[in-house]
Amino acid sequence: MKKTQRTGVIREYDMHSASVKVGYGFILLLCGLMVVIAVFPLIWVSLAGFKDLKEFVSSESIIPQSFSPEPFATTWSQLGIAKNYLNSLISVVGSVACALVFNGLLGYGIGILKPKGHGAVKRLVMLSLLMPPTISIVPLFMNIQNLRMGNSFLPLWLSFGANAMYVILFVQFFESLPGSIIEASRIDGCSQLQTFFRIVLPLSKPICTVISIFAVNAAWSDFLLPYLVLRGAEKQTVMVRLFVFSTEQTVNADAMMRSVVFAMIPPIILFFIFQKQLTENAVSVGIKG
Amino acid sequence: MSKVFKMVSLLLALCMLSGIPFGFSAAEEVIDADLTCTITLGNWPPDTAPDAEKALFENYRAIMAKQYPNVTLVPDYYSYTLSNYVPMAKGGTAPSIFQPPFTDPQLLISQHLVGDVTDALEKFGVLEEFSPSYVEMLADENGRIYGLPRDGYVLGMHINAALFREAGLVDEEGLPLYPKTLQELAEYGQIIREKTGKAGLVFPASETYGGWLFTNIAWNFGCVGESALEYQDEDGRWVCNFTSPECIAAMEYMRDLRWKYDILNADATTTDWAGAHSLLGTGEAAMNFAADDSVDQPTANKGLPVEDFALIPFPAGDAGRYALAGGTCYMFAPNITADQSVALMGYLKILGKLPFLDDSIIEGMRADYQAKRDRGAPVIPAISAWNDEAYNAAKQAIVDEFCNVDMRLYNDFFDSISQGTITLKSEEPVFAQQLYRELTAVIQRAITKEGADLEKALRKAEESFQEYLDDEINDY
Amino acid sequence: MSGQAKRLKSHAKLRENIQSWLIMLPGLILMTFFVWEPLFESIRMSLYKTRNVELVRFVGLDNFASVTGKDDFLQALQNTFSYTFWSLIIGFVLPILLAMLIGETVRGKSFFRTAVYLPNMLPGLAVIILWSAFFSGEKSGVLNILLGKLGVSPQSYLTHAEWVIPIIIVIATWKGAGATALIYMAGMAGISPELYEAAAIDGASVPKRIIHILLPAVRKLAGTLLILQIISVFQIMYEPMVLTKGGPDNASLSLMQLMWQYAFGGAMNYGKASAVAVIVTLILLVMTAVYSFFNRKESDWD
Repeated sequence: MKKTQRTGVIREYDMHSASVKVGYGFILLLCGLMVVIAVFPLIWVSLAGFKDLKEFVSSESIIPQSFSPEPFATTWSQLGIAKNYLNSLISVVGSVACALVFNGLLGYGIGILKPKGHGAVKRLVMLSLLMPPTISIVPLFMNIQNLRMGNSFLPLWLSFGANAMYVILFVQFFESLPGSIIEASRIDGCSQLQTFFRIVLPLSKPICTVISIFAVNAAWSDFLLPYLVLRGAEKQTVMVRLFVFSTEQTVNADAMMRSVVFAMIPPIILFFIFQKQLTENAVSVGIKG
Repeated sequence: MSKVFKMVSLLLALCMLSGIPFGFSAAEEVIDADLTCTITLGNWPPDTAPDAEKALFENYRAIMAKQYPNVTLVPDYYSYTLSNYVPMAKGGTAPSIFQPPFTDPQLLISQHLVGDVTDALEKFGVLEEFSPSYVEMLADENGRIYGLPRDGYVLGMHINAALFREAGLVDEEGLPLYPKTLQELAEYGQIIREKTGKAGLVFPASETYGGWLFTNIAWNFGCVGESALEYQDEDGRWVCNFTSPECIAAMEYMRDLRWKYDILNADATTTDWAGAHSLLGTGEAAMNFAADDSVDQPTANKGLPVEDFALIPFPAGDAGRYALAGGTCYMFAPNITADQSVALMGYLKILGKLPFLDDSIIEGMRADYQAKRDRGAPVIPAISAWNDEAYNAAKQAIVDEFCNVDMRLYNDFFDSISQGTITLKSEEPVFAQQLYRELTAVIQRAITKEGADLEKALRKAEESFQEYLDDEINDY
Repeated sequence: MSGQAKRLKSHAKLRENIQSWLIMLPGLILMTFFVWEPLFESIRMSLYKTRNVELVRFVGLDNFASVTGKDDFLQALQNTFSYTFWSLIIGFVLPILLAMLIGETVRGKSFFRTAVYLPNMLPGLAVIILWSAFFSGEKSGVLNILLGKLGVSPQSYLTHAEWVIPIIIVIATWKGAGATALIYMAGMAGISPELYEAAAIDGASVPKRIIHILLPAVRKLAGTLLILQIISVFQIMYEPMVLTKGGPDNASLSLMQLMWQYAFGGAMNYGKASAVAVIVTLILLVMTAVYSFFNRKESDWD
């Protein structure tokens, strides 16, 4: 078996020193503590889900009295969360598609094609990064209503096609691609669009993965615009449901904790499936931003 | 469709037009087969609602389908807040019917954000039954009506009788010895804290809730008439006054509840309405300022057995004994058509919200009370929003039939209203929600900073709210 | 090159430009519809007296004067800087430390990395609801239970004006620090181990290696992440809205939350709400400008 290499400041050679050894043990201890801090709240909220209201409000113990899954089943059916999961899935899939296609094409224009005047667009996109998006939610909502797109997933999907952050990530990635490959494809007679789909996109797997992950996470977590747009119960996503649930004054705190658990399960599953891409690719992209 | 049905519906329509309450229409009869429209119904019971309640609304839907076969009902789980309503009304997606509190109708009417139902009410012959105070709340200056009272409430106090027993606060009959005055409230709360370790009073001092409850306390300290929190001066300008000695005294009382008597719940500044009911219902607090319309919250919803629950009148202050009376109403989307408004009145009639008592409505009430009984909520009389004696008496008879509580735990509350020992007062007249928000901030200061200069805080709140009033009405 | 060829070439160039713009068009339309036009509309609204979304009359800078003249604005401005301050204290150095710690580990590195990143994947709303129960002041509040085991009597955390902002920053840091740490780790991974080896042979102690090799290597990255952090903390809104509702007595009210209150909190004054948003935007622009001025040579973007 290959010996794992030290990559940090501490070198193998230092390990002969007693003080460094102690220090290293301390580092491991701190890392363990960090894991506990990161994970404990999740364990706690799952445990809290087993409590009923009286126990949740009064009990001074973290461990529930009973581990009956019944409260979870009750909240599951009360919330009708299966349908909400499906809605979230629809919302997420469309959002990711729009995030890749529209931002990708815009990024391709700014980063590779660079037609006359692209600099202005680039600056506008950069500037939009700074703008608090919340303030324009009222005029935006009016726009959506005026186009009769209310109570539909379409505006939510399309809103992911207008993300300044993703555009910039695409631009940065495209600019790092070797120009010669793109030149070559143009000489081979590919049109600009063909070049994008045949050459650029296949080379852009890392950035596409990262943006997909970001978009999945954002589309799953978003609730403000979806709340305004998808008000009808038929199309509520999980987070809209959680938000509505949290504003219903009849809701009990224990059921609230269970719905938090339900809202967290899919991202956690997703996380464990894609952890490698997340912790490696997302980072390599982040470092350029 | 059969001729008979057509005849019946014609007859029915005639009776309605002539304003005769139609006492014997059965639910199955078609009232108007030609009325064709779609109405979206806000406040449809959410998935989290008890099954009985959901069944009840399904039943309303079935009756509606029979009475108005061509009216399509679209259930909407929308629950109103001013902030979520406005963009919807503007964008044309507001549900046809929704339920704002009585603080908001005038604002919505003045901003043209709600629909006019005067003609539909005329058609049903109920325009006259409105108590004038409601007409005032729900109409514009031309007397056009934009809403209907849904239910009224009177603020009092919810009591966890078990904690009172535990603290030894019981009379010879074993009933809780409850506070009659605000001073007693503080003292009893202290006893409960000492004997049980639980909070004497839960006070939801967050957002608008704190200010809302505080206005009632302030009234009992004398913030009425000359010292009112809000009034119109000779020039018709709206003025607010939070710095009267009475108001300052009331705020000092809030400070004392925290620092002198220490009877408040731990997280008062983040506690909301649901949180307050939770603490009372789970036995973490003994008293909660709340109204008769929310008695099912601490009991059925939060688990307090009905026999451990009592409803008492709002404690008196040195200068008065007022209780805030209010409620919610039905209002309608600004873009409803004449047909839709007729269909909506038909729907409200089925809900028993118009002063008609036919079999189906009585049946509905019985089902409602039975449902309350089944889920462990107290079945007690409702305070009627209509001025129709026969209607009110008939309703009381049905309540008696299902009553599941020891009425001795409620009598003082209802007697204080019927005998006039407590004065009912509606909320401050303009922009009450904003006023509550300002006052809540001062309350938060009073209960989080022992040495806070409350007069100064109240003066700042007053300046801020005055500017708001100038902006929103005085300068128009 | 002949004139014709030149013309042909410029013709082709023009065609290419048009094609390029056509490719960008869908994205541009979406950006206009979802970002730029609503933003422009907001700026316009800030100059008008509004009744809901209707513009009643042009009032110039009245909304700005009225908004900035109020105590709650000054309080919110101060709070927002306080959020930024605490986020620098709590949230800036921590990810660097985490990255250094994890970077030193030999076995279990990917496990540690995964664990710290996990909170970042969770939906913000769910995280805040979760932590609100954690910081509950009742005896059943999780922190009270934990501290109770150490013999500390129950505290009411969210009613302390001085504590609420640090608490909110702690929550935001819990969610975000791991992800930031991984970015630093990637930056640190770019340092060749040979540098450390060489330094070690020269007799440089571990702290010295950190100061002279590791930290300088991530300095630029830290600068970028710092400005991004400031920008995002400056827009904090949802966390205090759910956790403390801005209280107690506006002690955790942020500027964006004030904006939200003007717009949706009962006041329905979109004109003033827009004025607050424009002010926030201007502050952010100034901060970014200052940053890029000091960072001009290194920045790829200006």
